Amino acid sequence: MGGAAVLALGVVAALRRRVRTTAPGRRFFRHPTAGPGVFVLTFFVTIAIAAPVVAPYPPYYQIDIEHPNHPPSAQFLLGTDPLSRDVWSRVVYGARVSLGIGAVAMLVAATVGTAVGAVAGYFRRWVDTTLMRLVDVGLAMPRIFVLLMAVALWEHIALWVLVLLIGLTGWFGTSRLVRAEVLSLREREFVAAARALGAGAGRVIFRHVLPNAAAPIIVSAALGIGHMMLLEAGLSFLGMGVPSPTPSWGNMIADGWHKMAVAWWSATFPGLAISLVVMALNAVGDALRDALDPRREAV
Amino acid sequence: MAAWLVRRLVASIAIVFAVVTITFFVVHLAHGKPCGSDDRPLPPEICQALCRRFGCDKPLLVQYGKYLAALARGDLGESIGLHRPVADALADAIPNTFTLALAALLIDFALGLALGIYQAVRAGRFGDVAVGNVALLVNSMPVFWLGLVLLLVFAQWLRWFPAGGITNPILCPRLDSPYCVLDFLWHLTLPALTLGLVGAASTARYQRAAMLEVVRQDYVRTARAKGLREPRVLLVHALRNALLPIITLFGLAFPFLFTGAVLIETVFAWPGMGRLAVNAIFQRDYPVVTGAALLTSAMVVLGNLIADALYAVADPRIRVRGGEGGP
Amino acid sequence: MGPGAARHRGEILGAMPTARPRAGLTCAALASLLLVAGCERPVGCTGEYCGTMVIASGGEPDILLPPVSEFSITRDVTDQLFLKLADLGASGNTIGDEDFQPQLAQRWEWDTPTTLVFHLDPRARWQDGQAVTAADVAFTYDAYTDALVNSSFRSSLRQIAAVTTRDSLTVVFRFRQRYPEMFYDAVYHLRILPAHLLREVPRDQWRSAAFGRAPVGDGPYRFVAWKAGETIELAADSTFFLGRPHLRRVIWRFTPDQQGAVTQLITGDADAVEVLVTPDNVQRARADTALATYPYKGSAYGYVGFNLAAPGDSTKPHPLFGDRDLRRALVMATDRERVLRNVFGDLAKVPPGPLSQVWWIWDPEIRELPYDSGQAARLLTRTGWTDSDGDGIRDKDGRPLAFRLLLPTTSAVRRQYARLLQEQFRIAGVDVQLDEVDFSLYNERARAGRFDALLNVWNTDPTPSSGFPQTWTPAGFGRSNYGRYDNPEVNRLVDQAVASAANRDQARRAWRAAVETLNRDAPGIFLFATSNVAGVHKRIADVTIRPDSWLALLRTWRIPADRLTDRDRVER
Repeated sequence: MGGAAVLALGVVAALRRRVRTTAPGRRFFRHPTAGPGVFVLTFFVTIAIAAPVVAPYPPYYQIDIEHPNHPPSAQFLLGTDPLSRDVWSRVVYGARVSLGIGAVAMLVAATVGTAVGAVAGYFRRWVDTTLMRLVDVGLAMPRIFVLLMAVALWEHIALWVLVLLIGLTGWFGTSRLVRAEVLSLREREFVAAARALGAGAGRVIFRHVLPNAAAPIIVSAALGIGHMMLLEAGLSFLGMGVPSPTPSWGNMIADGWHKMAVAWWSATFPGLAISLVVMALNAVGDALRDALDPRREAV
Repeated sequence: MAAWLVRRLVASIAIVFAVVTITFFVVHLAHGKPCGSDDRPLPPEICQALCRRFGCDKPLLVQYGKYLAALARGDLGESIGLHRPVADALADAIPNTFTLALAALLIDFALGLALGIYQAVRAGRFGDVAVGNVALLVNSMPVFWLGLVLLLVFAQWLRWFPAGGITNPILCPRLDSPYCVLDFLWHLTLPALTLGLVGAASTARYQRAAMLEVVRQDYVRTARAKGLREPRVLLVHALRNALLPIITLFGLAFPFLFTGAVLIETVFAWPGMGRLAVNAIFQRDYPVVTGAALLTSAMVVLGNLIADALYAVADPRIRVRGGEGGP
Repeated sequence: MGPGAARHRGEILGAMPTARPRAGLTCAALASLLLVAGCERPVGCTGEYCGTMVIASGGEPDILLPPVSEFSITRDVTDQLFLKLADLGASGNTIGDEDFQPQLAQRWEWDTPTTLVFHLDPRARWQDGQAVTAADVAFTYDAYTDALVNSSFRSSLRQIAAVTTRDSLTVVFRFRQRYPEMFYDAVYHLRILPAHLLREVPRDQWRSAAFGRAPVGDGPYRFVAWKAGETIELAADSTFFLGRPHLRRVIWRFTPDQQGAVTQLITGDADAVEVLVTPDNVQRARADTALATYPYKGSAYGYVGFNLAAPGDSTKPHPLFGDRDLRRALVMATDRERVLRNVFGDLAKVPPGPLSQVWWIWDPEIRELPYDSGQAARLLTRTGWTDSDGDGIRDKDGRPLAFRLLLPTTSAVRRQYARLLQEQFRIAGVDVQLDEVDFSLYNERARAGRFDALLNVWNTDPTPSSGFPQTWTPAGFGRSNYGRYDNPEVNRLVDQAVASAANRDQARRAWRAAVETLNRDAPGIFLFATSNVAGVHKRIADVTIRPDSWLALLRTWRIPADRLTDRDRVER
């Protein structure tokens, strides 16, 4: 089960070493934390995908409610929580939810941010000014506040709407980044050449400018997924995130922290999982930054 | 310089104004009743008083105008749950969040700077790698989870620190004696430490990179060639220039501190603005929600303004350029 | 690089001495500060009438005006501020008048079988100096029964025809008929209010009256301050005519939930907590040498209440819970025993109906619906709820069998129950979503009927005669009967039971029939009836707890002079 997953990833991680044949690959793996980072990410993604196979119990199943709070043991790898549910199984299924929310929200944020930043950077003048003012306003309100208000005002919010909102409150940084890249790229010869050949604005942006701006977008996306996951965890902790009984790492902490004194494992392991994944994302993001952008000197 | 400052100030005010407008309209359109909401209807006589002040049956724009007029007078409305003016409730809560943020920033920069310099000095060696990984881990932790762990270990198991709250309300209803000040600091330690640690990890990374970049510069080599001792080279010449990114971080810290403060204030029952805002949202106390939105956005914008101004002062290149700092 | 690196390291270390003197100065300053602070310890009150007791509570009063608040925490506070005419004795007997203790009334007699005359104690004073008179009593009765005030105690006073004054210290209660608990009805619910301070307040504005946030009473304690969301402080009235309270100050500290209150007790920030709730809390309190635990019969029972009316429109039946068979099936699908053991261990019992352990009609033999998941499943299928699309949730005519359960975030017990019940229902093919909302919001929605089902807890009166009709008959519509349950047969049996309470056997039969009829209708799932354990700091002596109101005898609690701590001695 868990062991098989771990083994599978060791293999996958080793396969990744093949990438070392390329120059960016070598730069990537020069970071000592890049390899472990990739390993951790692959591990969690694999157990998330293979959850029904990996997890010994269904995530909702309350095994023996008269005897909850089992400490970690051979039968319950990470113990059972106050509702007598297997913590390891819930961590596995929670990976689906937490990683999924992080990835989808980041996708939304990256798409909107790239679109806005590209348009602002390419067209400049009043389009640029208006869009960047909008970004300033968006950055002025702390995200968690906006999200809490949205969840409170909207009764019985659906999960996918919540994920959409998390994404829609997180694109501002990406847009600034993309705008900066587009501003510098649009002066280059290949853009002038494309325009001289009669290409429209959209074609120029999509086919010529954005592919060259891809590197910082990818890096900020890798780092951004971590932020989205932490935000979801925070919202769930306040009771405004993923609803019971669906496990997410955030609401596992929220459910378990009252019983920290007697059953520390039910709130600690989900927190550890979040920390490890976000740490891996940060490490991979840093390594990617160096791999994809050789102008910067690696430190 | 002055022209730039004025322009930024005007822009900042415009941003806060936009935030207030958006909040007002969103709240009123979602739960249009000025007399509380479906869930928490206000008692009739309070409703009537509000109607006289803000105009219930008038069109939304008129209500908005009256709200702005009241804002100009400093009247933010009346809290439904706390039975007192919103401005009073916020005035009580802001100093608490401010002291928490200040303490957290102090820990953040002190620790972050020290660690960053240490890492730069030991670049590439075990000390650097070890500190770097620990910093990475701490930076990746959910801030409320770290708070819970610290609470469990230091407050419940070891009993070194109190399990939350701001002060002992019986012995110290006001901070009027050294004993009470110390009690306040004792309560402040764990929440500030939690916020500070997570921030310090991030600061250390930036500081390390900045130091290493600066150390390569010609003027540092010149200083070394002149025969200056290494500490003086690092602390006097290199550090001054490596501090620039820290100033940017100071501006970025405000939104982070508010987000972190919301969660930390909940974990440690710290009566600051974050907890006030969250409770108000849960209780559908909309006057407090709009007031808090106004104030937090003002704080964030102010923080950015200060950071940009400091950056312009510290880096003469910006001043010469004269444009808006940064993309 | 080698020698250079060594010099590099050495230079850094060599740089340290220059920093030390400054650090030393700071250390000295800090140390002297601590010394000064340590010396400046407040030396205040000494003797037998000192003491500050901090009570940690997971709920906060809405308003300190007895007729308009139903919260038990409000009652805890107002019991110290306002007096009743007479109070329940230690035995808890509510029949007749022999077991009652004089409070505001010095003595009483029966002029006729339905006329009760009270003689007020001339020493009683309001805290603004005015004497307490019979006019206050008459005014209080008038307010409690006024439709504009809309007090939830109004229905308990319906057997009293009139309250009049004979002179400034004599009050006459006239009843409609003679029944066993008439004295209890006259004295238990009315907390006498100052007419001279409340007469001018319009009756429909009592719920937001300023008096309710700064009350003036005649009880053993007087109001000092209320910091919303934080604390309420009361100070002892040294001239209280029934005896000076020993504890000089009583402070309630409010926490986000009851578990937070228990944490405060354990860390020493609070001195008393009404209920320790869970077995592991009780264990921790027992293991703590500074704390003493006091078990007492719990007066609370918790249940899932179904809304029999459509949410927001009480004229129409609820689309799901208007169906009696569905409700019965849900009750039978719940394994109440095992769920209770998870949450409470042995600190509660499954009640055989909407009963608390304090009630004398508690009888495990009362017939109720059994736990039988097979029968539940068959009943659901018979009424048309089948899982036609294989998603694990039953449906009928394209609509899934789903509803939302409303509960407050302040109760860890209810949150735990909600999650356990969610799983029980899911196994039966019912999809339950949780609506966990703020406490104030929960109460507003419950009162307005805007819910499908709610997880509610009642702290009951010492006798079912007042509480039961309030919750389970039309007398409680718009007040405590959130689900709008109305069965004329139950109403008749309850009236009969209340009227015949002197003949215990007859009353018992009537009550049993009422509860059994109610159980057959399944207006709710009756989950737990608590056996409470209070936690109080050991230095507080003479702690007597009355099950119906744990702080009723607070003025007799004391802290011996040799056990006073810093907190107790503060002069403020």
